[in-house]
Amino acid sequence: MFDHGTNGTSLPGLHAALQPLLSARAVTKVYPTGAATEVRALNGVNIDLYERELVVLLGPSGSGKSTLLNILGGLDTPTSGTVRFRDTDLTEADDRMLTRYRRETVGFIFQFFNLIPSLTARENVELITDIATDPIAPEEALGLVGLGDRMDHFPSELSGGEQQRVAIARAIAKRPEVLLCDEPTGALDVKTGMLVLDAIGRVNRELGALVVVITHNAVIAEIADRVVSLSDGRIAGVRTNTIRRPISELSW
Amino acid sequence: MVGAMSPLDKKLFRDLGRMKGQMAAVVVVMACGLMVMVMERGLVCSLEHSKSEYYARHRLADVFCELRRAPNSLRTTLSHISGTAAVETRVLGVATLDIPGMEEPAQATLVSIPDDRPPRLNLLYLRSGRLPLAGRRGEAVLSDAFAQEHGFRPGDTIDATILGARVRLQIVATALSPEFVYELPPGGIMPDNRRFGILWMGERELAAALGLKGGFNSVVVDVSPYGDIRTVRSELERILAPYGARIAYGRREHPSVNMVDEEIRGLRATAVAFPLVFLSIAAFMTSAALTRLVRLQREQIGQLKALGYSSREIGWHYTKFALVAVVLGTGIGGALGLWAGSRLVLLYHPFFRFPSLTFHPEWPSLFFGLVASTATSLAGVATGVRRAVALSPATAMRPEPPGEFRRPAVRFPQLQNLAPPSFRMAVRNLRRKPWQAAFTGLGLAFATAIPVVSVAMDDGIRYMMDFQWRLAQRQDVTVSLVEPGSYRAMTELAALPGVLYAEPFRAVPARIVAGHRERQLAITGLTRAARLSRLLDEEANPIGLPRGGLALSEQLAKTLRIGPGDTLRIEVQEGKRPVFTVVVAALLTDFAGVGAYMDIEALRRRMGEGSTISGAHLEVDGNRWSGFFAAVKRSPRIAAVATTRSVRETYDRMMGDMMDITKVIMSLFAVVLSFSVIYNGARIALSERTRDLAALRVLGFTRNEVAAVLVGELAILTFVALIPGLFLGNQLTRLILASTVTETMRIPVLVTSRAYATAATVVLVSSFVSFGVVSRRIIRLDLLGVLKARE
Repeated sequence: MFDHGTNGTSLPGLHAALQPLLSARAVTKVYPTGAATEVRALNGVNIDLYERELVVLLGPSGSGKSTLLNILGGLDTPTSGTVRFRDTDLTEADDRMLTRYRRETVGFIFQFFNLIPSLTARENVELITDIATDPIAPEEALGLVGLGDRMDHFPSELSGGEQQRVAIARAIAKRPEVLLCDEPTGALDVKTGMLVLDAIGRVNRELGALVVVITHNAVIAEIADRVVSLSDGRIAGVRTNTIRRPISELSW
Repeated sequence: MVGAMSPLDKKLFRDLGRMKGQMAAVVVVMACGLMVMVMERGLVCSLEHSKSEYYARHRLADVFCELRRAPNSLRTTLSHISGTAAVETRVLGVATLDIPGMEEPAQATLVSIPDDRPPRLNLLYLRSGRLPLAGRRGEAVLSDAFAQEHGFRPGDTIDATILGARVRLQIVATALSPEFVYELPPGGIMPDNRRFGILWMGERELAAALGLKGGFNSVVVDVSPYGDIRTVRSELERILAPYGARIAYGRREHPSVNMVDEEIRGLRATAVAFPLVFLSIAAFMTSAALTRLVRLQREQIGQLKALGYSSREIGWHYTKFALVAVVLGTGIGGALGLWAGSRLVLLYHPFFRFPSLTFHPEWPSLFFGLVASTATSLAGVATGVRRAVALSPATAMRPEPPGEFRRPAVRFPQLQNLAPPSFRMAVRNLRRKPWQAAFTGLGLAFATAIPVVSVAMDDGIRYMMDFQWRLAQRQDVTVSLVEPGSYRAMTELAALPGVLYAEPFRAVPARIVAGHRERQLAITGLTRAARLSRLLDEEANPIGLPRGGLALSEQLAKTLRIGPGDTLRIEVQEGKRPVFTVVVAALLTDFAGVGAYMDIEALRRRMGEGSTISGAHLEVDGNRWSGFFAAVKRSPRIAAVATTRSVRETYDRMMGDMMDITKVIMSLFAVVLSFSVIYNGARIALSERTRDLAALRVLGFTRNEVAAVLVGELAILTFVALIPGLFLGNQLTRLILASTVTETMRIPVLVTSRAYATAATVVLVSSFVSFGVVSRRIIRLDLLGVLKARE
């Protein structure tokens, strides 16, 4: 099981709630698309995200969800505005610092799994455990997502749900403080999607990681602490769920 | 074995396994480049090595001097010249040999060896038998090449005519000599082991046969390490001048030594130009192919970055791809080069008679090739990786956005409607990635260029031989006299059986001096009306023999840095040894050998002699050769007979083997190059666009139509690259031939339609074969499956 001690986040304290883990201020991202046109993917986004939170980003496609997630995870840099992780300004960070941030702090899960096709499930997880400072053993991480018996299969030999669970195992093996999931169930059927969400929920609960999940499925939003709606590159609304519905009760 | 490896290394090996086709294409091209490098440089190294070892061990003399006759009593004086380590006097002569079963006479150079002690200089290397015993008459050592050609063995006898007297000699040994590594017949430019050999005989017996009893006509000197060659030479000339000495010349001016040096020089130039061309093409292709391979992994690079791998770690991972290619490419290329070199060196055996000529690889060049291959491969990978890691991981992980397609500025709607949609797609894809298309095109252009070079060289050599022996020297046979003869000798030669027409020539050995440059050469006097031996310009038009001045080979004029109108000093080494100045009146084209020509009357006037001749160029009735040769064999005054046909045949045979090898190597390289460029281009394009092609299948395209889109692109490139490729071939031919020019041989640049046609055929055929291979792959691919699951 997860080792609770090492992250020092056994309980959500008041101070933690006051000091955000990740905060974005006036974040704007502009993609040039041609000689005269441009796409404003994010337009002045402000958001604070806290430890142990499970946040769902909701919005139609093109609303800027993925762009925001990528910027929060250090996969992309904003055109203007600042993003801070604790006391570090990610927008000022160079490639080396961003690499360290991604390597030590953030876990990613993508809609299309993004496994390395030439590596087995175990080896895909080993990609992380090889470079992380205090990783979970790959076998254990795969066990957590219920893939203990499929460890030596190549991605092409696994179903979509299994592949996504490998991706989860890979993301959590480093004990991330932040887990960013971009439509993790988008390419999966309902039953498999539940399994995946359940695994993500456990990371949030048992590791105490901040989890941000992108979806355009409003039902999934009910498992979150907070639901942030995006529209046209702006935050259209934030809703706090008083009760998080257990994943098992979801259906869509 | 996979257990202990890091996951990235496992990925490396599995990816390599999946891309083995593409990697093989890269490796093969790299190996070819390196092979040529190792082989060519190794050949040069081997010749240098064999040469210097042989010369040192068999004590090749430093200075040579020929004279008319000096008494043996002069030996003591000679040995006291300061700076000499060893002085040997000897007797040289010529003989005509009557070989059973051979219609024409063979010639031999006669060289004496001391009777009662082993030679001090120019030691013989005995292949079989023993040296002649002191006091035993009629024993001789025969040069190994000649002996082998005719199957002579110790114990056999050979009939020779020396100064008109027929003697039967018993062969006691076959041998090699450092002085005759290149067995040149007097006046010839190629060894002819069938018609020319060397005979070594006891000094007293040979001197008697040549009418030099108690004297010598040749001196060879070994200069001590502290001695000065120039002083020794001038001392020799001073002491021997009263005895009719020609100049004393150094080792480098010795015909055999000079030819070996020239050959090595030519080879060394080739060994720079050739490998450089091959290696740079290989390097370029390797680099371009690796760039594309890395670009295929763009999404995976994005992922690795997202997972927290640094750009450096990712860079190193992909560097290993290049290193694997380098290790395999250089390993295979090096091994092939060593193997090919050791085979090729055997081809030099008939040219160069060394006791042993084995392949000595030149390690620095192997090292250089390795560094060059590594550097270019790394550069290729770096380009790809740099582009991929420069993208933010978010961008890199997305599939490449659809390319921007633009409408062409000039459109031909009717034409467009004629072309099938797959063709239109192919054209647009090329327009979308112009750089990639340019790289593939350049590779194909190189592949086209190489066969042009090989055929052009072949044509050049053919033309050179034709020029030299059909257009310039039109005589059937050249006869040289033992001693310059009078006009009566001319009548005698013209009266030989079968002779239809005869033209006299006068050849005098001379030192040609232009400022501080000088050259030892025979000046040939020809009649102004000569129609057999003609002087030609570059276009093979006859140039008239100037009335007063000298006509000089262009190549020689270049060496001496002179041109028409310049004045030369001529120091004749024969007869009254006159010294005179003469104006260079015309330059002539000579592809093989160099010459200096004068009006025979003018030359005789300068020599202060009447109607002397050195020999004659003859036209002989083709049906009466046997009668002609029989008479020549009987004639005591004839020293040498060279039939144009046999010279040409020898040249053909000697050059033929070398050219064949070169042609094979070049064609191989061209095929490998075009095949791998196309194969790699197609395979990578296939991986890049599997989804597009799959989409076409969904739309209802047949498998063949889908294959046509991809192959169409490459076919267009092949055709487009053809014309620049042929032009490149032309330029490359000029570059390579310019690098092989030596004073004695120059292959004319002659790029004919044959060369272009051959090159086009080679490239088109190998292209179509690789199209076939790639099409089969596309047809077998489960394209519909591709759409279902994304990698």
